[in-house]
Amino acid sequence: METKKIKCDKTKENCNGHLQLDFNGNELKIFNGKEISENNKELQTKEISSAYLNIINSIGEDSSRQGLLKTPERAAKAILHFTKGYNETLQEVVKDAIFDENTDELVLVKDIEMFSLCEHHLVPFMGKVSVGYLPNKKVLGLSKIARIVEMYSRRLQVQERLTNQIADALQEILNPRGVAVIVEATHMCMVMRGVEKFNSKTVSSSMRGEFRTNPKTREEFFHLVKSN
Amino acid sequence: MNSFKLVDKLSRLSMKPDSLPQISEGDNLKNQSITTPCKDNSEETISSNIANSYLNILTLIGENPSRQGLEKTPMRAAQALLHFTKGYQENISEIVEGAIFCEDVDDMVIVKDIEMFSLCEHHMVPFFGKVSIGYLPNKKVIGLSKLARLVEMYSRRLQIQERLTVEIANAIMEAIEPRGVGVVIDATHMCMVMRGVEKLNSKTITSAMLGEFRNDPKTRQEFLSLIKN
Repeated sequence: METKKIKCDKTKENCNGHLQLDFNGNELKIFNGKEISENNKELQTKEISSAYLNIINSIGEDSSRQGLLKTPERAAKAILHFTKGYNETLQEVVKDAIFDENTDELVLVKDIEMFSLCEHHLVPFMGKVSVGYLPNKKVLGLSKIARIVEMYSRRLQVQERLTNQIADALQEILNPRGVAVIVEATHMCMVMRGVEKFNSKTVSSSMRGEFRTNPKTREEFFHLVKSN
Repeated sequence: MNSFKLVDKLSRLSMKPDSLPQISEGDNLKNQSITTPCKDNSEETISSNIANSYLNILTLIGENPSRQGLEKTPMRAAQALLHFTKGYQENISEIVEGAIFCEDVDDMVIVKDIEMFSLCEHHMVPFFGKVSIGYLPNKKVIGLSKLARLVEMYSRRLQIQERLTVEIANAIMEAIEPRGVGVVIDATHMCMVMRGVEKLNSKTITSAMLGEFRNDPKTRQEFLSLIKN
């Protein structure tokens, strides 16, 4: 069952919604993410609540019992929180926390908690992110590194893409001599369902600049991330 | 009466319900069709119904559901949710399957650290942890894996941890009528970790003590110290 696509003839900036059809042939209005959150947050929450209400009824539960009465709204707000990264931009997150410093040694922020949603099953995956970079006369406010992780992880994601996006962001902001990102995560879609492997972890990495070209630099990064 | 208690009662009378309990129609459901889920032939309808809702959610959060990574997500998410709530379709007698044996033993039996995954009924976000069960047999013992299967049955539903704990204890009480049952659940709630108050290391512990586990402090103490790491 595929959704029918209707071509939009406006540019992305000018498009304020175009038609797409769902599995039953009914129209779905698609909004540009930024626009919907600025203008109709209430409407967005209400519509998502309706969808959750339908889901609760479909699995055979009684949506009017006390424990489930407000669940559609709560679940809608929860998923909006888990996908708030769509409404953030790199500029807004980093602001002006870039400072000139005459340093060129490795800077490492490790074990940043990360929570994301698997885009294939809409089930959480979570873990730790460690980010290192070799400054090129400019350093970034340390908490901004964690905020960048937050921004990209609070979206429907695939771990490989998340890792690359964090690395690309640092590359873009600082133009450093190298960037290294490691993400180690547990995927609930593999633990709670499917193959059900409880202890498995997925590790992905992204190496740029000197971390890619110089094995010793890379080795130093791994060593510092591992050490307790 | 809670529809699912009815399901369990019927199962003890050896009657299998042909269909799940009637669902109630919700408010504000334009363009959505609600079907009464039946066990055998409408599973596809239920899946498509849920998939449609997920498709709506994807567009409403501002994503593009026709991009490659998301094309089949509505169906996958629907199947995943049905897996996480498959406990609704199960009942005690099906799970236990007659694995109850007469044994002349009366010392405590413990199965501990059973992995548990459930869905918080308030936010529909996972909570997971470990369940430890102990009971004092009264001439009857239950197949050990059935204890874990009972945990599975009650946890694969929209739950709150307090109710889950009590339901597991009651189920064992009903199945083998032991002199006492103790259940302890230690879990992490993603609704507290991923959102809201965002406390990463917090754990919630609940317990249910029935029979001699409730009345006799020494029994309770023995159970609690045996399940500690």
